[in-house]
Amino acid sequence: MNLQSLRESSELLKRLTNTEFDLFESLSSEAHLVSGEILFEEGGAADAFYIVVKGKIGLELTSPGRSPMAIQTLGPGELVGVSWFFPPFRWNWRARAFEDTTLIAFDAGEVRRQCGVNRDLALDVLGVVAEETARRLHRTRIQLLDLYRSS
Amino acid sequence: MTSAARSEPALGAAEAMLPRPFRVISTHSETQDTVTLELEPEDGAALSFLPGQFTMFYVFGIGEVPISISGDPLSPGTLVHTVRSVGAVTAAAVGLSVGDQVGIRGPYGVGWPVGAAEGKDLVVVAGGIGLAPLRPVVLDVLARRDRFGVVSVVYGSRSPGDLLFEEDLHSWRSRFDMEVEVTVDRANDSWLGDVGVVTGLLPRIAFDPTKTVAMLCGPEIMMKVVASELALRAMSPESVYVSVERNMKCAIGFCGHCQFGPDFLCRDGPVLPYAQVADRLRVPEL
Repeated sequence: MNLQSLRESSELLKRLTNTEFDLFESLSSEAHLVSGEILFEEGGAADAFYIVVKGKIGLELTSPGRSPMAIQTLGPGELVGVSWFFPPFRWNWRARAFEDTTLIAFDAGEVRRQCGVNRDLALDVLGVVAEETARRLHRTRIQLLDLYRSS
Repeated sequence: MTSAARSEPALGAAEAMLPRPFRVISTHSETQDTVTLELEPEDGAALSFLPGQFTMFYVFGIGEVPISISGDPLSPGTLVHTVRSVGAVTAAAVGLSVGDQVGIRGPYGVGWPVGAAEGKDLVVVAGGIGLAPLRPVVLDVLARRDRFGVVSVVYGSRSPGDLLFEEDLHSWRSRFDMEVEVTVDRANDSWLGDVGVVTGLLPRIAFDPTKTVAMLCGPEIMMKVVASELALRAMSPESVYVSVERNMKCAIGFCGHCQFGPDFLCRDGPVLPYAQVADRLRVPEL
């Protein structure tokens, strides 16, 4: 997978300078999941983050005695995972492939370390993660309104 | 003004208030509380309509409500209405059986600007029962598909069990000349489709913002957030159309029950350019 081809569709990659992009490219690898495969589990170490190339990832909440509850799906170009950027660097949700899915995985630990020594990179990444978090909060608020309720 | 001149609109209005008898020829349960009714005129005269128009649907002995037409505009011999049970009249409509008689007035209102979308990309965004008034648009466009650019349908529903027109959605999805995205707010165990609000699907839709027409129908909050999202994609609000509904009674612009700012929605709407109503959609008193 050529990361350059994802640059226009990914808010994160679009925001990076060429130097930062090269760094991210060096920290990336391709991942494939078959439908139903778990990408990460709730509470697990957030040592990677992902951009969906193809397919669909569902974020789910699991609890004893009931089926997993999907709360959001993420498709091509979207960022999977924001918890990797904030302590304690643990996943809040389980992520599962809802169909055969291809992702680009990034080494979250190394990106955090680079952000610690490169203020400009840290600001760019923080900006994207904060925007994504705000967008998800906005959508969640709309979802909570239960707009399609019939009465 | 002469007394004769004054009496003319009254006579016209009286005629316009007379329902035509229609007979239910089929019912199809869409969801737990929503049915699609096929009706035939008892006098045999086809009821031609434009996508987005509505009729006044009279359940005898109960009352009359405005219902959007959800059928194929190219098959005007059969009137199709998709009704969700939300009150006394619609509950009675949902309970109708084949052979029952209802009264129909109309069609009324300004429809979707399908003609203005020719030669352009078309984005259709529906939420909940809002797919019903947009279904005629999709059927109309698919019947002359070559006259449009990229055609996309984005549909949001409360849950998988609340999806309308599932057969149509599957059929549209199987085509190579249109994009169909469906999402639900709340998934069940077996749902492997998208979960989340419709705005989350818009980034996946390809269109040229300089030559696209968008048609939105659903809860007003949904239409507002979708219009905002489209604006972020550089779409002009003049090219975004919404369907706004209020308490319609006479449906001919006389009684004023459906007044929405300077517009009577039964006559000037229900389809209006978003640019025309965006400010009004922020006024709680309206």
